[in-house]
Amino acid sequence: MTGRVIVITSGKGGVGKTTTSANIGTALAKSGHKVVLIDTDLGLRNLDLLLGLENRIVYTIVDVIEERCKLKQALVKDKKNPNLQLLAAAQTRDKTAVNAEQLKEICDILKEENDFVLVDCPAGIEQGFQNAVAGASEAIVVTTPEMSAIRDADRIIGLLNTKEEITSVKLLLNRVRPNLIKSNEMMSVDDVVGILEIPLVGIIPEDTGIITSTNKGEPIVNDENALAGKAYRNVAERILGEEVPFLDLDEPRGLMAKIKSVISKLKVKV
Amino acid sequence: MSLFSDLYNTLAKFFHNQEEEQADASKSVATNRLKLVLMQDRTNLTPRILEQMRSELIELLSRYVELDKELLDLNFEQEGNQVALMLSIPVIRAKDEEEIDAALKERDEMLKLVEDAKSSKECSEDEKVPDVLEDSENSETNEVSEETSSDEKEENADSRTEEEKVEADKTDAIANELQDIPKIIKKKEKKEVSAPEEMTNSGSNPFKSDNAEIESMAESSSEN
Repeated sequence: MTGRVIVITSGKGGVGKTTTSANIGTALAKSGHKVVLIDTDLGLRNLDLLLGLENRIVYTIVDVIEERCKLKQALVKDKKNPNLQLLAAAQTRDKTAVNAEQLKEICDILKEENDFVLVDCPAGIEQGFQNAVAGASEAIVVTTPEMSAIRDADRIIGLLNTKEEITSVKLLLNRVRPNLIKSNEMMSVDDVVGILEIPLVGIIPEDTGIITSTNKGEPIVNDENALAGKAYRNVAERILGEEVPFLDLDEPRGLMAKIKSVISKLKVKV
Repeated sequence: MSLFSDLYNTLAKFFHNQEEEQADASKSVATNRLKLVLMQDRTNLTPRILEQMRSELIELLSRYVELDKELLDLNFEQEGNQVALMLSIPVIRAKDEEEIDAALKERDEMLKLVEDAKSSKECSEDEKVPDVLEDSENSETNEVSEETSSDEKEENADSRTEEEKVEADKTDAIANELQDIPKIIKKKEKKEVSAPEEMTNSGSNPFKSDNAEIESMAESSSEN
């Protein structure tokens, strides 16, 4: 079995790479696939926190590379789902502790025994980015509908296009606020896709539930009612090759909108 | 009744439009700013280079047409994978043939002077220009190979110090020559004004004598 290695990257920090990695990984594992998440953000690791695994990490990726442990020993199984495993970053080292070849080697070994290897990339375009991208054959670029995030995403897309090994680059638009788009105060999905010109794999609405899910260390895909959770589950299905329509984020939700929809229904009956 | 409904409609329109315009501003401003900055990022054209391109285009085009220089607009647009350079030029009026001929002559004379000045001191000028270009290229691709580019810079600096003394003398000579150019042009302009009849009657004759003058001057300067 040869799994797919997907790097999740963005250029700019704080747009939701780690949240996206945790949620897509969890969703893929829930649908029965074997998944390994690799945190390559050496010195600033956070993926363990979002998965609630911070207290169970014994060995890190640097321990594997410096041969203090075997690769299998360093993989931490998720509490709920044994299909999901985490290879954590070292918190006491920096990006120079690892090089691209070493990371590629780890990805190559892991993809033999898993369906998916998701690599959570650090912000920036330096060594950390080059490391994270080394073993991947697909990329998901995370951005938000803000100028600075889009500009950095454009730069990252340009760099990814120079890598021969990467055959697919897709866009995940995060933290979308439909009410702002409606009032023309935020770039719409079409605007962003029109500028970056790569295929879309997901649209995630801004959701305060993300904050509470991070607090608890439990990805929002586990919350059946959350809209962002549903959007991430859809992303996972699209990665698996299914055609899932994008969520209609313009659903009327205010009180007035509800009354209006009720009235319009009554009119139809009369 | 129709009066009231008209009044209502106009009022509603008024408020609606105002709201839309206000809200529209922030999004479209962001999109336009972003498009421009991405074009610069993707093409590696800095605002300085764009400005230079603009002024050179103005110089070139104004030989043939009279332009509104303030309103000339230079932009990039992307259509698919193709980047197009969009140039919008408000033309005040087209120049007639005589004006165009005169402008072209002026350009040829300028070019000749500059070339003569250059060819006499070729080595010093030619080395300087590529050096500047290389440095600017290095600074743009820094993230790929920071170490090599800084090494190269050091080498360049070394080679410069060796040649600097020789170059300094040469550049002084060029500077003097270039200062002379405007004087020559002024001379020519005076002649034009003083003998307008001659010009219309015998075409480019007055220029010929001028050319000979300038050539002889350029030759004498190249001998120096």
